[in-house]
Amino acid sequence: MEEKIISKEDLLNLCKDVIGNGHTLITPGKTEYTVVKDTSEIVLDTTAKPTKASYKTFVFPKAEPVIYYKRGKNDVQLLDVEVEQKKTVILGAKPCDTNSFNILRHLFNWDYKDEFYNVREKQFIVIGLMCNFSDNFCFCTSVGSSPVSDKGADIFLVPLDENNYTLRVVTEKGGEFIKDYSKYLNAGDEAKTKAVTDTVKHPEIAFDSKQVHEWLGTNFENPKWDGVGDLCLSCAQCAFVCPVCHCFDIVDEDYNYTEGRRMKNWDGCQFGHFTLHASGHNPRDIQGKRYRQRVNHKFKYYVDKFGEILCTGCGRCSRGCAVSIDIKEIVSNCKD
Amino acid sequence: MDDLRKYAAELLEKGEVAAVIGYQQVSEKRTKPIIAKTAEDCAKLVFNEYCLNNLAVYLTKARVKELRRVNGAVLKLAITAKPCDVHGIVALIQESQLKREDVTIISFNCAGVVKDFGMDFNGETLATKCVPCDTHKPLYSDMVFGEEKETPKVSDEVLAKIESIEKMSAAERFEYFKAEFDKCIKCYACRAACPLCYCQRCITDKTIPRWVESSAHSRGNFSWNVVRAFHLSGRCIGCGECERACPMDIPLSLLNRKMVIEAKEAYSYISGRSLETPTLVGSFDVKDSDELFM
Amino acid sequence: MDNIYKPYLAEIAEIIDETPDTRTFKLKLKDPEVAKNFSFKAGQFAEYSVFGEGESTFCIASSPTRTDFLECSFKVYGKVTQALNRLNQGDTIGFRGPYGNHFPLEELKGKNVVFIAGGIGLAPVRCVIDNVLDWRDDYKDVTIIYGARSVGDIVYKQEIAEWKARPDVKTVVTVDPGGETDGWDGEVGFVPTIVEKLAPKAENTFAVICGPPVMIKFTMPVLEKLGFKEENIFTTLENRMKCGLGKCGRCNIGNVYVCKDGPVFNYTQMKERPQEF
Repeated sequence: MEEKIISKEDLLNLCKDVIGNGHTLITPGKTEYTVVKDTSEIVLDTTAKPTKASYKTFVFPKAEPVIYYKRGKNDVQLLDVEVEQKKTVILGAKPCDTNSFNILRHLFNWDYKDEFYNVREKQFIVIGLMCNFSDNFCFCTSVGSSPVSDKGADIFLVPLDENNYTLRVVTEKGGEFIKDYSKYLNAGDEAKTKAVTDTVKHPEIAFDSKQVHEWLGTNFENPKWDGVGDLCLSCAQCAFVCPVCHCFDIVDEDYNYTEGRRMKNWDGCQFGHFTLHASGHNPRDIQGKRYRQRVNHKFKYYVDKFGEILCTGCGRCSRGCAVSIDIKEIVSNCKD
Repeated sequence: MDDLRKYAAELLEKGEVAAVIGYQQVSEKRTKPIIAKTAEDCAKLVFNEYCLNNLAVYLTKARVKELRRVNGAVLKLAITAKPCDVHGIVALIQESQLKREDVTIISFNCAGVVKDFGMDFNGETLATKCVPCDTHKPLYSDMVFGEEKETPKVSDEVLAKIESIEKMSAAERFEYFKAEFDKCIKCYACRAACPLCYCQRCITDKTIPRWVESSAHSRGNFSWNVVRAFHLSGRCIGCGECERACPMDIPLSLLNRKMVIEAKEAYSYISGRSLETPTLVGSFDVKDSDELFM
Repeated sequence: MDNIYKPYLAEIAEIIDETPDTRTFKLKLKDPEVAKNFSFKAGQFAEYSVFGEGESTFCIASSPTRTDFLECSFKVYGKVTQALNRLNQGDTIGFRGPYGNHFPLEELKGKNVVFIAGGIGLAPVRCVIDNVLDWRDDYKDVTIIYGARSVGDIVYKQEIAEWKARPDVKTVVTVDPGGETDGWDGEVGFVPTIVEKLAPKAENTFAVICGPPVMIKFTMPVLEKLGFKEENIFTTLENRMKCGLGKCGRCNIGNVYVCKDGPVFNYTQMKERPQEF
C-alpha cells in the first residue's frame, strides 16, 4: 500500500482526464450514484448521507438482457448480448459501499460464472472516500468495516485539509490505474493521514455478528419473526437499495411478434410471490417467514456458504423503509 | 398524549378492539408504526408532527385483519389517523374494503407534518401533501384529540410544477417524465405504502398475459407508473405516501395530484370525503362529462 | 463471453399426451456438437423455455442410459407450461442444463430398490427406474409402487406396461378410492396403504419416493415402521427456481440451494433442514 498526496484541484484534473480518456466516471448524487458529465458536478463530502441507492446497478443492472431471440416458423435464432467494455471509475464511494464487490463476487462465481457481472466488475476502479457521516441507521462497525476502512476500494481518499487529500493505492488494479495520472501525485505522509482518520467518530458496535450467526442457527422458529412480519409492507425497497442484495428474476419480453429478449431483473425476497409455486404452494407464505429469510440470508446462510456477511452496514434499507423497519435493531435483537 | 394512551388502553381492556394501530416514537424526530395489543404497547403511542405514515394501509393487510379474531369473537380494530388519513379509511369504506363499524377511528386536530424524519417542524419543512390540505379536523372519527393549531402558510410548489408541466409541449412532457421514470427500480414501495393499492394481486404481477413489463427499463417503468396513476385516478386521497416511500425520489405526487384536480374539475369529486357518496368510478350519471373517458 | 443463461436449442421430436393436462416431450438437441457431448445423471433437472414466455424448471424424465431423446413431462399450471402445451412437433424450445445433484445410483449397486411415486411425481422417479432397469444385474429386487388419483390421471402408461411385462420387476399401480373404472385390474387405495400392504422388506434396500407432499407425509411413517432407515430414503425437491445456477435466491431451504446442493436429498438431510419447503 502506497500513500500519496493529491491536491483538490489535481483530483478534479484527474477526473477531467478520466472523462477525457473516454472512461465513465460515477460519483454519489443526492438519490443515487450518477454518471459525471462535467467535473463541476463533483462534490466530495465525507459528511454526506449515503445516497438512497447503492451503485450495484452499474455491475448488476436493475434490468439487463441476457439473450436476444428471434422466432421463425418452428425455429429460433439466438443472438448473444455483449457487455460494453468500458473502464468505469467510481469516485467518492463510502467504505460501506466499497466492500460490496468483495461480497457479491462469491455469489456470481461459485461454480457457474456470471460473466455479465464479472466483465463489468473487472473494468471498475473504485475510489473510496473516508466517511464522516453517522446516523442511527449506520452499523458498518458491526459487520467488520469502519468509516475509515479501505476494504474493497482500489484507491482510498482521506481529506487532509481544505485543499489536499491522501490518495492511498490499495490494490494492484488501483496502482495500474493511477500510473497514468502520476503527474498529479506528491509524496504522502502517513502520519498526517492517521491524524485525520483517528478523529473520525465510529458508529457504536450494535451486535456481535458471530453471536448473531450462532443464534440464527438455533432460532429458525422463534416468535420474534412474527412481530416483524406484522409491520412490513412487503415491498423490495430494502433489497433494491442494498449494495449486496442480489436476487433476480428471469423473464422474457417480446418487442414484436417474432423478436424479443430474455431479461435478468432485480427481484426481492419480501415480495409474496417470490417463492410462490405454480401449484399455489408457497414455502414463505407469510411476511414473518420472508423477513426471517432476509436476516438469515445476510447473517447466516451467506456466511456459511462464502464466509462473508451479506451486509455492509450502510443502513440504506432501514433509512428508506416506509415503515421504519430497522435491520440493525432486528439483528441486535437476535439473541436470547 | 396521556389521553390518547388511556383511551387506547381502555378500548383494549373493554374488549372493544383487538388492536390499536398507531405511532410510536423511535428517536427524537422519528416515529414508526406500532400495532398495540396490550396496555403496555398503548403506553408507547404518540401523536405529533413526525407521524408521517398513513396507517390506513394496514387495514386491508390479511395479517392485520386476522388479528381481529380473538377467542372466537371478531373484534374491531382501532386506528390513529390524521384527518387526511381518515380520507383513506373513508375511501376504503366507499370501496367496500372495510366497514365503518369495524374500525374505531382515533383522530387528531392536525396542523401538518414534516416532509421527512429528522427535520424541525416549520413552514419550510411542511410536507408537500399538507400545503394544499383543507382538512385540519377529521371528517369522521370516534374520538378526537389535540388542540386546533394554525397550519404554516407556504406556497404550493407541487401545483406550480404541475402548471409548468401543463405548459410544456407533449414531447417535452414525455421527456420530463421519461427522465423521472427512468429512475424507477420497480421495488413497488409506492404500491406497498399506498392505502388504496390493496389489490390481492396487482396487475403488474399478473403474467398470463403479462400486461405490464416487469423490467425496470424505460418502457416497463412508463407502463407501471402510468398504469398506477390511472388506477388511482379519482381514488387517490393525496396522502403522498407513495412519493415518501419511493427510494428514487420520483415525484409521484405530480401525477396523482394532477388526477385529483382533473377528477374534481370534471366531476366535482374528491376521493375519501364522504361515506354517503358512491365512488367516482363506481357511479355513472348520463350528465357526466365524457372528456376524460378512454 | 461465456453466457450461463444461454440455453441450448432443442427440437420437439415427439409429443405424448399422458393425461388431459400432462404431456411428455421427446427432445433432440439441435446442435450436433452439443448433442454429442451432452451427458447427465439420473435426478438432474433443467430449465425449459418457450421464447417469449419464459423458463420453467422440471427434471429430466428420461434415463441417462437412453440417449436417443431427452424427455421431460409437465403438467399445465402456469404461464410457461401453458405455452409449452401449445407447441407442436417440430417446434423449438430452449433447454438449459443439466443442473443439480443426482441419485447415488453407483453407490447403491447391490441393493434392493423400492420406487414409490404419486401423480406427476413419477417423472423424476421414472428416470431412476429406467436407469436401474438398464443396469438390472447390478441391483437385487426392484419394486415399483405408483398411485394416481384416477385411472385417467395415470402417466407413463406405455412405460408402466413395459415394467409390468418384466418378470424381474414387481410393479403395482393403484388409484385413489373412487378413481377406478370398470375393468381396472390394479389396486384401489392410497399409496401409503398400498405400501403398508405390500410391505417391501427394508433390509439392504433403498427407497426413492416422490409425489404430492400429503402422500410423502403419510408414506414416511409407513416406511419407518417397515424398518427403512432415513438415510436410505431419497426424494427430489422441486422448489421455485429461476436460474438453476445457485444465484437468483429463490430455492434455498436454509443455507442449502435446492438447485445446486439438491434437488436429490435423503431423509436425514431433509430433517436437518429448516422446515420451510
